[in-house]
Amino acid sequence: MIEFRDVGKRFADGTVGLESLTLTARAGEITVLVGPSGCGKTTSLRTVNRMVEITSGSVHLDGRDVAAADPAELRRGIGYVIQQAGLFPHRRVIDNVATVPVLQGLSRREARARAAEVLERVGLEAFAQRWPAQLSGGQQQRVGVARALAGDAPVLLMDEPFSAVDPVVRVELQDELLRLQADLGKTILFVTHDIDEAIRLGDRVAVMRVGGRLAQFAPPDELLAAPVDDFVAGFVGRDRGYRRLGFVPATALRLVDLPTRADANGSSGVPEEWTVLLDGAERPAAWLGPDGARHDLGSLYVTDDHDAASDGAGTLRGALDAALSSPAGRGVAVDGQGRYRGGVEADDVLALLDRGRETERSVARPGDTRR
Amino acid sequence: MRAFGYDIDQLVIAHVLLAVVPVLVGLLVALPLGWWAHRSRPARRVLVPLSGALYTVPSLALIVFIPVVLGTPILSPVNVGITLTVYTVALLVRSVAEALDAVPDTITTAAIAVGYRSAGLLFGVQLPLAVPVLTAGLRVASVSAFSLVTVGALVGIPSLGTLMTDGFQQDYTAMVVTGIVGSVVLAFLFDALWLALGRSLTPWTRARTGV
Repeated sequence: MIEFRDVGKRFADGTVGLESLTLTARAGEITVLVGPSGCGKTTSLRTVNRMVEITSGSVHLDGRDVAAADPAELRRGIGYVIQQAGLFPHRRVIDNVATVPVLQGLSRREARARAAEVLERVGLEAFAQRWPAQLSGGQQQRVGVARALAGDAPVLLMDEPFSAVDPVVRVELQDELLRLQADLGKTILFVTHDIDEAIRLGDRVAVMRVGGRLAQFAPPDELLAAPVDDFVAGFVGRDRGYRRLGFVPATALRLVDLPTRADANGSSGVPEEWTVLLDGAERPAAWLGPDGARHDLGSLYVTDDHDAASDGAGTLRGALDAALSSPAGRGVAVDGQGRYRGGVEADDVLALLDRGRETERSVARPGDTRR
Repeated sequence: MRAFGYDIDQLVIAHVLLAVVPVLVGLLVALPLGWWAHRSRPARRVLVPLSGALYTVPSLALIVFIPVVLGTPILSPVNVGITLTVYTVALLVRSVAEALDAVPDTITTAAIAVGYRSAGLLFGVQLPLAVPVLTAGLRVASVSAFSLVTVGALVGIPSLGTLMTDGFQQDYTAMVVTGIVGSVVLAFLFDALWLALGRSLTPWTRARTGV
């Protein structure tokens, strides 16, 4: 648990980096600090491992005031992931990851063994003997995460770790972080300027405004449903209503029956209405239209939410997106193995949303829908 | 090997020692000074211009001036050694400071964040990464030292420069040319040695390909 108690930071030149920040990052959760540049989010993060010394208030790590700790010792007990990975270019991947165990006093052999374990956990064992310059940006960032994990610290600080990679890789890295977090249950303080990333990753999100003031601190669904003021509303964006659907479980959604044919090639004649073509394993292959042509399925709605890697699985957002992106006007629902389950009507999703509004407090906690 | 009435081996050994020892001692002196200039802006404002100014002092003047200050015998090779050490320091203070400056901020920040103290940061991260820039500075200092050693011959300190001064006096061209070619070859040999040493310390700089 990380507690900021009335933390202030005034720089030597008089500018205010933080103004009385009070916030608790709960143990085992991802707490995201998000805000425009100059809002003090990175400054806040760095007060935890004392790379920034605060000028008022106190920061507590698991109940202990960090000001009482030796800075270098403190940092060896906190994982840190920096923008652009910050790997040591003169050390092979395995030795980069072994850095913290070595600093913690392990022999080089023990530290390498530990590093090899962590690399295996993040699926990078094949890269152990490479130099950082031989890795792609995304791979470097994953090594950065592995290095932060190698010290076995219960707390991770992540400073815009995924901002330097392209959007596709960023989503992969986010998924991997969620997967790791589901296993490891670290206390993570994560800084980003990207509200989508914040909402995707955060168990709780702190929106900060310029001058180091906390605007709102809430779980993502609450942030989207009820921003406290215009600043937060503007920051979370105009399509927040739609994005909030990603936090509403679709367990009550009724699937409809669609016409189907076990004929992946669509060579069985022109149907009267839109028909789903299934392959041998009952997986949807394409739509067959009344025009006799095969059409793309659109995005599929995955009914199971076990797999965090498929965005929108088991939520109204996934269901609505499937319905809206389908050429047939009805979305195709599949289970976690990709087998055909039924169809989704956009009207059903909206009706469900109406009912949800009447019983507003029944909105599921984000943790329930994503893990 | 003897030629022109001289033991050439002796001259070569003297030449190499007079050039290499001051370069290495100069490097050891320049490291802390350069680190200081890297760390402190006021220190840099003094050290970098001062070392630049030192390099403009004529070598012959330094060689005859040093016995006056230090009380060493006027014919001692130490005078040449100290002169060349001064030049090496003058050249390398700036190189060391710039080599340390060139280490990217993200890397030093990451090193501090994982828990390096300043000594570990310097020896474990900053200096290894500074090696390419440092090697470049060292090579300039070394080539310069190998040529300046010959100036010592003017005040009677033996080196391959002796072949130049004596050959000139005896109007013996072959002897002068031998001295010139010999000192140039030595300078090149050691330049290649520093280059090889720098490369062997920085295997990661050649690992760009093969992604």
